[in-house]
Amino acid sequence: MKKLFLFLGIIFLATLGLIWPKPLRFFYCQPDLLLIFMVALVFYTDFKTAWLFGMLAGLAKDLFLPGNFAINTICFGLWGYALDRLSRQISTDEPAVRLAIILVVALLNNLILGLQSVSAGNVIPAGIFLRNLIIVSVYTTVLAPLIFKLTKKITLAF
Amino acid sequence: MFKLPRKTLINFIVIFGSLFLLSNFLSCFKNSAQKTFKPHLSLVGLLKRELTGIIFYHRNMMQAERLRNEADALRWRLFDLREISQENARLNNLLNFKQRSPLRLVAAKVIGRSPDSWSSSVLIDRGRENGIKPGMVVVSPQGLVGSIIESADNTSKVLLINDPNQGVSSIVQRSRQEGLVSGTLGTNLIMRYLPEEAQIVVGDIIVTSELSRVYPKGLLVGRVVNLGREFSGLNRYALVKPLVDLANIEEVLVIIP
Repeated sequence: MKKLFLFLGIIFLATLGLIWPKPLRFFYCQPDLLLIFMVALVFYTDFKTAWLFGMLAGLAKDLFLPGNFAINTICFGLWGYALDRLSRQISTDEPAVRLAIILVVALLNNLILGLQSVSAGNVIPAGIFLRNLIIVSVYTTVLAPLIFKLTKKITLAF
Repeated sequence: MFKLPRKTLINFIVIFGSLFLLSNFLSCFKNSAQKTFKPHLSLVGLLKRELTGIIFYHRNMMQAERLRNEADALRWRLFDLREISQENARLNNLLNFKQRSPLRLVAAKVIGRSPDSWSSSVLIDRGRENGIKPGMVVVSPQGLVGSIIESADNTSKVLLINDPNQGVSSIVQRSRQEGLVSGTLGTNLIMRYLPEEAQIVVGDIIVTSELSRVYPKGLLVGRVVNLGREFSGLNRYALVKPLVDLANIEEVLVIIP
């Protein structure tokens, strides 16, 4: 039952990502809801569930992006593994720590996506690169508590 | 800080190696996933449109009034243009110009947008069942929108012209100067490979060139808003503002060749 709801959570967040309302876009940027969900899964579920559903979230994102290479699936899997290792080393119960983690993960994830685009020969002006890197990451961090609550409700209810 | 046992490391490499290989077969899942998402995306889109209509009632009312005035002015202009068009047709006949065959268009609604900020694409509610195939050109009454990159049974993905992966061979309408227009993810496009002596000024209209194999000749792309010199110093570039409001586009037309 929990797994079904986690799956529905991914569909809900993927849909929200696809139809994100224009008034909520800041400087043409929108938050990465599926990335928050993946990080939240590491905090609220066991490693296997978090890793599996984290990668599923990455796959859901990749399916609606142009290009045939599943970079988000790989990155989400990698972050899931790294965060699980990190949570064994340090305490991640403090909300501030969790927000700091999500900010770092969002920054690194956006940096990888941006560098991948640039290395493919695309012209992205520095201003737009920094906009996508910083504003998207900060916006993702700001919305993280809401997705954390949703994930907590799903995981604790079942 | 992190001590990785050898077994874990090997497992990690094997799993990510397999994932890396599997990720190249992503396209196998795309059709079914987009098919699953289509009904509720359409429904949510409909609800969103209705709600926005109610919330922004006053703004819409003012906008409608302004547009009505604009429509009246344009109607008069249309009469003038019709005269010119008829004259043009007559002259064409006189010069024995070949009439271009009319374009076959399929109208589609935008039902979703790219879920991240590193690409610029939209999902439309028409697909293979409507004769849409990858490579087809997408336009709107204002100008060029992009091209189809993937088509499922009843949805398609459109790569917009402001995506960095998009390249459109274009010319300056006034001077016929050629260049390559590509996206920057921002509000403006960039027209590159312009020689030092290129005849281009701010305000020039950019249209698709006949050299483009994908886009029909003469489609409106945008208007030049700024000029600059490339980092190498060898060429100049022009910033082009697309004529289509790509951030707010809701309906598009797909050209069926």
